[in-house]
Amino acid sequence: MMTLMVRNIGALIVVFLLTGSGFSAALAAESVCLQCHAGLEGRLAAPVAAWDSSIHAQNGISCPDCHGGDPTDFAMAMDPERGFVGVPEHGEIPEFCGRCHVGVKEDYFDSGHGRALHSGGPQCVTCHGNHAVQTASLALINREDCSRCHEYGRAEEIKAAMLDTDRLLAGIQSDLDGLAKTGIRVREMEGETFALRNDFHRLFHTVDVERVREQTAAFQQRGGEIRTEIEAVQEELTTRKLLGAGAAGLLFLVSVICFLIRKTYRDEE
Amino acid sequence: MRKRLLDFLDVRLGIRDILEQNLTKYLLPRNVNIWYTLGAVLLTLFSLQFVTGILLLVYYVPNPDEAFKSIETIMNDVPYGWLIRYLHAVGSNVIVIVLLLHMLSVLFMGSYKKPREFTWVSGFILFNLALALCLTGYLLPWSQLSFWATTVATEAAGAVPVIGDGLVRFLRGGAMVGNATLGRFFALHVMVLPAGLAALIGFHLFCVRRIGISKPPFGEEYVPTEVKDKFVHEEHPGGIPFFPNYAIKDLAVISFFLGLLVVLVFFAPGLFIPPAAFEPADPFTTPAHIKPEWYFLWAYQTLKIFPSEFLGLASQGAVMALLALLPFLDRGRERRPARRPLFVTCYLLGILLFAAISIWGHYS
Repeated sequence: MMTLMVRNIGALIVVFLLTGSGFSAALAAESVCLQCHAGLEGRLAAPVAAWDSSIHAQNGISCPDCHGGDPTDFAMAMDPERGFVGVPEHGEIPEFCGRCHVGVKEDYFDSGHGRALHSGGPQCVTCHGNHAVQTASLALINREDCSRCHEYGRAEEIKAAMLDTDRLLAGIQSDLDGLAKTGIRVREMEGETFALRNDFHRLFHTVDVERVREQTAAFQQRGGEIRTEIEAVQEELTTRKLLGAGAAGLLFLVSVICFLIRKTYRDEE
Repeated sequence: MRKRLLDFLDVRLGIRDILEQNLTKYLLPRNVNIWYTLGAVLLTLFSLQFVTGILLLVYYVPNPDEAFKSIETIMNDVPYGWLIRYLHAVGSNVIVIVLLLHMLSVLFMGSYKKPREFTWVSGFILFNLALALCLTGYLLPWSQLSFWATTVATEAAGAVPVIGDGLVRFLRGGAMVGNATLGRFFALHVMVLPAGLAALIGFHLFCVRRIGISKPPFGEEYVPTEVKDKFVHEEHPGGIPFFPNYAIKDLAVISFFLGLLVVLVFFAPGLFIPPAAFEPADPFTTPAHIKPEWYFLWAYQTLKIFPSEFLGLASQGAVMALLALLPFLDRGRERRPARRPLFVTCYLLGILLFAAISIWGHYS
């Protein structure tokens, strides 16, 4: 129950961050970090362009949100007294990212990857990159990247087990976007899908194939319920179109009949 | 029963005489064409706006905190609320299309000429009132589209020299589009403008009926009539009765346009209601490429073409003034398009210019 509550609160925080993103992005554009680093060269300038293309930038998560410091003061921007943390060491990265991604951090430390952290195992940046971080997707599990550290076999099995659910969720999101554009209220279904996708993404960090298979079935069921709701709405929209076609056809028929009657009058005139 | 009712009314109001004079014995020119039905189409569409508008008022809440939610409720919870809202919103676009066709046909046939100046001027003001109704109604859903389109539209008034800033504040009721803007646009949309529109429709119809229907300027038998300096009701002896002969044609075209409206409402409402209309207004996030509705694109682009917004605004004012005063400037008797080459050239170039600037505005 407690875990569920923590997850919901986490989801609410993310929703809040997303909805306030436009405002935050506007503030980010004004931060002294970006202004200064954009004018530098090489390694020190690279994070600006990389961050600009990231999911963090899209959601208004900017430099001080991760690195601390004062984004309004050039002189004190990187002062530890203003909370500046700078670049974390390899072993500190999961804690660094986990300040926001609480659930993911738990899953990571539960996994084989997490347990191997201090013996040179992978951390968040190994798979997700740093400043150019993108939306987590199954594309991150691929032969090229996984083979850098181990055989691809088990990773491939995990990916195959999650693929259907991933497609189901992508399809649901696409349909919901389409419905929202026609004025259908989908907020509740979007919330359910958002929570479901978050829960599903937490599974991405496990390396236990059996656990993935077992939990994927539960996600499929939850996704199926949302899909049924969407199909009911789509059916209603199809019915509306049939009614519309009938009404329009009737009106055009009346129009034609009236023109024919007018023709008979003209013959008499 | 029907006869008894008619007898009852006839004794008291002379209803049979009224019906005869306005329906069966009201004669129209024999060559009256389909363009003459557009007035009846507009009357039907305005009536539909009136009815759907009242139904929307039952659930709409004119407050920035509630407006968008109330529209969402209408669209999702009220039985057939989506249909009523779409008929109202899409219907307003169809009205502008028919208004333009009506005006263009009157211009082409020279029906605005003496002695029908009042009919033209009242019709032209009606056109502008309809546009004002569209503009004020656009804000009411309090969506991203509403909020930012109104911000852009009211900002244009700032180009007026000296009083520009004051005018913008007056329109918005403050520095920014907000609660006060919604309040005044709501009052204008549901009370002031409809009352003005209804009164002016009455006057327009009175002018049409009083002076008589103009004869279409086509065919070999047509000769321009001499306009006298005293009032003469234009009669059409030997013409066709309005009812049932012409009323059935009115009904045919009305049904056609209603059918078109239904097609748009059920199959392509997105043509007039883009996705930004379904996102709540957010004063902190300006959507990319916000554009006014299609019938304001020419005005929007004109402001951008000229080196200063004032010149753009002045040119718009000049075009509108020219159109409003056309019957007083174009005083020749000739109405046949074939014998008015200069006018027809300007007319076609004007339509092309309107379309080109609008398309330019859409893609700019």
